This record gives sequence, C-alpha cells and structure tokens, in this order.
Amino acid sequence: MEKLTVEKFYNDRKSALELILLAGAGGLSKPIESREVQRPSMALMGWYEGFAAQRIQVIGRTEITYLQHLDQKQLRETLEKLFSYREIPCVIVSKGIIPPPVMLDVADKANIPLFSSKLATVDLMSKLANWLDVQFAPRIYIHGTMVDVYGVGMLYTGKSGIGKSECALDLVERGHRLVADDVVELRRQSENVLIASGTNLLGHHMEIRGVGIIDIEKLFGIRAIRMQKRVELEVKLVMWEELSDYERIGMETKTTTILGVEIPQVIIPVSPGKNLTAISEVIAMDFMLKVYGENVASTFVERLNEEIKRKSRAREYLREDME
Amino acid sequence: MVEKEVEVVNKLGLHARPAMMLVKTASQFQSEIKIIKDNMNVNAKSIMGVLVLAAEKGSKLKIVAEGPDEEEAVEALAKLFAEGFGEE
Repeated sequence: MEKLTVEKFYNDRKSALELILLAGAGGLSKPIESREVQRPSMALMGWYEGFAAQRIQVIGRTEITYLQHLDQKQLRETLEKLFSYREIPCVIVSKGIIPPPVMLDVADKANIPLFSSKLATVDLMSKLANWLDVQFAPRIYIHGTMVDVYGVGMLYTGKSGIGKSECALDLVERGHRLVADDVVELRRQSENVLIASGTNLLGHHMEIRGVGIIDIEKLFGIRAIRMQKRVELEVKLVMWEELSDYERIGMETKTTTILGVEIPQVIIPVSPGKNLTAISEVIAMDFMLKVYGENVASTFVERLNEEIKRKSRAREYLREDME
Repeated sequence: MVEKEVEVVNKLGLHARPAMMLVKTASQFQSEIKIIKDNMNVNAKSIMGVLVLAAEKGSKLKIVAEGPDEEEAVEALAKLFAEGFGEE
C-alpha cells in the first residue's frame, strides 16, 4: 500500500477540511502512522506523560486562549517544547484561527507542517477520524467480480475462465450494477462490514473473452456502475464435476471469512447452459428475505415436519380404532 | 508452491502487449499462478489483473504458482520477464 504522508492527506482533504498550509512545508513528506487524533492541551500546560506524538495534533480555541495568556518568552518555550517531538506528523489549528507568529516560526524550524482549518474543532476532529479510519482500514485485493444485485452486494469468486465476468455482464444488462471486475479491493470498514471497490486504473472496465476489454460505464451508462458496495454474500462458482456436495435444501448457511469478517457463502456448480443470472437474482432476493427474518428453507422444513406429525397422529388414532 | 522474484527490464514496463504475452503463457499451465506487486496480488491468467499492476521498468514482482506444473509455469514466466518480453 502507498504510504500515508502528510502531503497525501493535504492533497486529499484540502477542500473538505478547508485546510491552509501555514508553515513547516519542509515536513510534508512525514508519514502519518496513527489513526488517532489528539488535542495537546495537557502537553501545552507542561504535562507530557502519555503524550502520543505520533498522532495528528488539533489545536482549538481552548489551547489558543491558553497560549495567548502566556508572555512571549513562555510562549516560545511552550511551543518549542511541543514541536520538539519530531514524530508529530502535523498540527492543525481549527476554527480558522490564525495562531501567534511564534508558532509559525517554531513549526518552520521543526519542519512540522502547521495547518489552519476553517472547521469547528468538533467537526474537524470527527471528519479527521472518519478519514483516518478509511485510510487505516485493513485491505486486500482479490481476484473476483463484485456486482450490486437488487442492492445486495455479491462477490463472485472462482477460477479464471469460469464465467464471472460474463455473469456480471448479463446482470448489468438486466439493470444491476457493476462495482469491479477482476481485481476487487476489499477493506474492513468496521468489525463486521467489508467494503468492496474497484481500482482507479481499471475503473469499470471488463474483459470478455473473445471480445477484449470493454468499458461498462461507456456502454451502459452511469446507472450500470457503482463505486463501492458492502460485501453481503460471496458466490463461489465451481465446475459441476469438481463438486459433489452442494447445498440441496438451504438449511445451513456456509460462511467464509475475509479480513476477519464473516460473510455468507453460496457455492454454485456451473455447467454449460446454466442461467447464472436468474440464479444470482434469486440468491439476492433470498438473502433479502433472510435479512427481513424469513427463512424459506426452514419454513418449508417446519411445514414438512408438521405434515409428518399430523400424519402420525392420524395413524395412531386409526390404530386404536377397533370398531 | 513455487515462488520467484522477477524484475521488469523492458523500457515500457508491463504494458498491454507484454501483459497479453504473460497471460497467454500463464493460461497454458494448469497451476494457479499469482503475481504479487507491493500489496497487490493478482491472477496471472487474467489480463485485467496483470494490467492493473501497471508495473514500470525496474519494479520487482513475485510470481507464485501452485499446482501440478508449478515449476514449469514459474520458469516460463520468469523467462518472459528476463527477456523483456522481446522488447528493449
């Protein structure tokens, strides 16, 4: 993965966080190694125990007010002490406050980028935390195809040439949306949410054997694509003859674990002439039924058990019938 | 499982034509073949996968194969890289 630097952060978030680089441009190549944000109030007061220098430091109104009450000598010493922690990736002053000139000077000398943001401190902290969460989320690339079918995120996996792309193409023709083909980036957004997206370079291109590379967005328009989608199901395609033990009733849900997130898995045997599109739509709808609390397979099995019980009651009754 | 590190030596890097050669060669083998660059891990039999690596001259890749003909597969692919896919 590309290393996360202050420069990348600045380029990426400049407009969203309304950032202005005030000083310390020499430190733009510094790495950001912590996903947490810190307000250095205690540190400014002289208490450095537990101070986490590797975090982005956010200075708000409170800290600035404190600094303003110091005389010039104390102010310089206080700031020099803070900026002597060279692991600090960058410092952001919120609310559009212009910090005292000494701070700019100290930041320049320490080569620690100093930004000003127009956002209110709370807003800035939460937006920063969200962005850092995405950047630090564990991620992997896998070989597969990701399609949104009726709003259900389906990740198709299986060997090369088994028909993942063709299946996705067919689904797109029927109005479903392609997220990524062939190379899917997966990242763990939270404990049980896995998000799939494509790569910048590939976009929504797809290779169809015998045709070559096609661009789904150009061919089918904006409605046929989606930038990212939560992975809700894995559909594993296998050759018919390779698999002898596939699900016949659907009572048990198989699962697979990707980046520590458990995902239900459906294994579909593929044979020539099999309509994977219709099956995919059914899988998606069945998944939705389950999400809404309706398990068709177990309802059916319950009905079957009920019927067996009813018959045996009748049989018992008749057995006692000695008329 | 067989692994081998290779380097892209041709000037234009792993562009469309070399990528196609690579995929064609890889597809002749039964083994599962992966190409790894940084944290990207793609299927060597998929043209899109190989293209997305956008491997430039001098970049180092790892070929990993697993299957009945893994040795031959890695050797054949490594040879393509070493010869610069017949380019400068």
